[in-house]
Amino acid sequence: MSLLERLKRLLGRARRGGGSEMISCEQALSAVYEYLDGELEAGPREQVEAHFDVCARCYPHLRLEESFRIALRGASGSVQSPPGLRERVMDLIARSEEG
Amino acid sequence: MIAASRSNAPSSFEEEALPHLDAVYRFALRLSGTPDQAEDLVQDTFLRAYRSWAQYTPGTRAKSWLFTICRNVFLRQRERGRRHDEIVQRHTAMGGGVVDAVNPLWRSLDGVDPEGAFFRSILDDEVLRAIDRLPEDYRTAVVLSDVEGLTYMEIAEMTGVPVGTVKSRLFRGRRQLQRVLYDYAVEAGVLPGGFGTRDEEDHVAP
Ligand SMILES: [Zn+2]
Repeated sequence: MSLLERLKRLLGRARRGGGSEMISCEQALSAVYEYLDGELEAGPREQVEAHFDVCARCYPHLRLEESFRIALRGASGSVQSPPGLRERVMDLIARSEEG
Repeated sequence: MIAASRSNAPSSFEEEALPHLDAVYRFALRLSGTPDQAEDLVQDTFLRAYRSWAQYTPGTRAKSWLFTICRNVFLRQRERGRRHDEIVQRHTAMGGGVVDAVNPLWRSLDGVDPEGAFFRSILDDEVLRAIDRLPEDYRTAVVLSDVEGLTYMEIAEMTGVPVGTVKSRLFRGRRQLQRVLYDYAVEAGVLPGGFGTRDEEDHVAP
């Protein structure tokens, strides 16, 4: 996330009245995967987000997990199916229709 | 054009299933470990998917449906001959039952690379090799979630385990993988050598 996006979010939250009580570092860190995986409901998601936004200790954790995921996605995403596989699959299907 | 000839297929197999060919191939490659096997797996998957296309519920995710078929085919095939060694054992991730919320890796990286930028400098092939060394259950969960973006629920349905199990497989799989990549980065000289960090994995923070 860019610095600008972070700032915008912080400002937005401040305008809404700062939100509810702050969750602990332990709670935020325990939820880091669910947060990044998009598995949290709106309420908890905002709380976790709010914690990472303002906690100097936890924020690098979030970044670390993001870097990790970018690396995984990039590495596997670079894999493409071999040339001709699509045609071979289509062929196979067409032949199974005839048989 | 093939699927159009099937009266019981309301949505086109070509339009809904075939676009996921690359994704299924990626998944098959991580499951099977070799391009040849992955290709066979993909062909088998799509053939089976085509035959059962009438059972596919339009609107559900075709991708996760195809992954399910792919994994089933793989598991069935594997019974006939076990795949390459799973070097990393699943018990190394965590010693006891207590989960440490602080990533142990972070302690090793503190003051050096706290945001884990090194992950992105590791070569794709090394990352893939590390993924392939994960125990199968972890590997499946990590690939489906981190790479393919499936939800916990989708992965749970696919693999026939509760959502809680998916979470714990992801947790353990990710931490193992991070440790392997960290060790690799240290060996490759990308990061300064860690000292005594490995043992921390088995302990809970004070
Ligand atoms: Zn914190």
